[in-house]
Amino acid sequence: MRFMMLMIPLGYETAPPDVQLDPAAAAAMMKYNEELQQAGVLITLEGLHPPSMGARVSFAGGKPVVSDGPFAEVKEVLGGFWMIDVASRDEAIAWAKRCPAGPNEIIEIRQVQEMADFSPEVQHALVGYEEMLAQTRRA
Amino acid sequence: MRFMVIVHASKDTEAGAMPSTELLTAMGKFNEEMVKAGVMQAGEGLHPTSKGARIKFSGGDPVVTQGPFPVTDDLIAGFWLIDVKSKDEAIAWMKRAPFDGGAEIEIRQIFATEDFGEALTPELREQEERLRSGTAKNTARK
Repeated sequence: MRFMMLMIPLGYETAPPDVQLDPAAAAAMMKYNEELQQAGVLITLEGLHPPSMGARVSFAGGKPVVSDGPFAEVKEVLGGFWMIDVASRDEAIAWAKRCPAGPNEIIEIRQVQEMADFSPEVQHALVGYEEMLAQTRRA
Repeated sequence: MRFMVIVHASKDTEAGAMPSTELLTAMGKFNEEMVKAGVMQAGEGLHPTSKGARIKFSGGDPVVTQGPFPVTDDLIAGFWLIDVKSKDEAIAWMKRAPFDGGAEIEIRQIFATEDFGEALTPELREQEERLRSGTAKNTARK
């Protein structure tokens, strides 16, 4: 089963564009990342620049409306994520608990949807999707 | 530059409702265009937070809370990873996404090795490269 471990660092919602990482925290995190990789569970991981460099597109009125970050009303933002492949949700939680996260950091565990999770109608509408993505990864 | 496009959750996505076949077909067409343009690298949907959990770190032992979590602007329903030349290009692509009323997406730049500057020591850089080549192998095995 694939799971996303979503890293939510409280306070990152107001971080400036030139925010710097703490080298000691980065080194501890790299060690954890290597453990995930050596256990064969890590599929991918990424870090995100702060929302002050981002944008939101809202489709509420039918026509897309763009607003630039940071976003005043937002309480939590994503700082990065891991995608892992494990045997169960409990195993995903056990891995997350081992993360050398700092105080006020939250990891949200979410299962990734697989083709088999969809109804036959939806699967039909998605025919060719996985193959299409596999091709982009090979390119 | 790579961007993560976050699709925010709504009452519908949290209830596990699937989009209409019409919307799925339009979305499939949009994805195909992005793939053909060499823009789209990945796209995934997430199960509702009712099947999820949160782990909070605040000093002592991490505290686990089971989902569901309240629907706010901050919950995630799915995402794309795209590779484009600029934030403007990312916005231009996403304005074309065939969402109906109510949907909101967030565009966030992904850190590249060169963004870390001096914090990324040669040792960390080497470790990072080992990690990336190792995950490629993990993925290839599947």
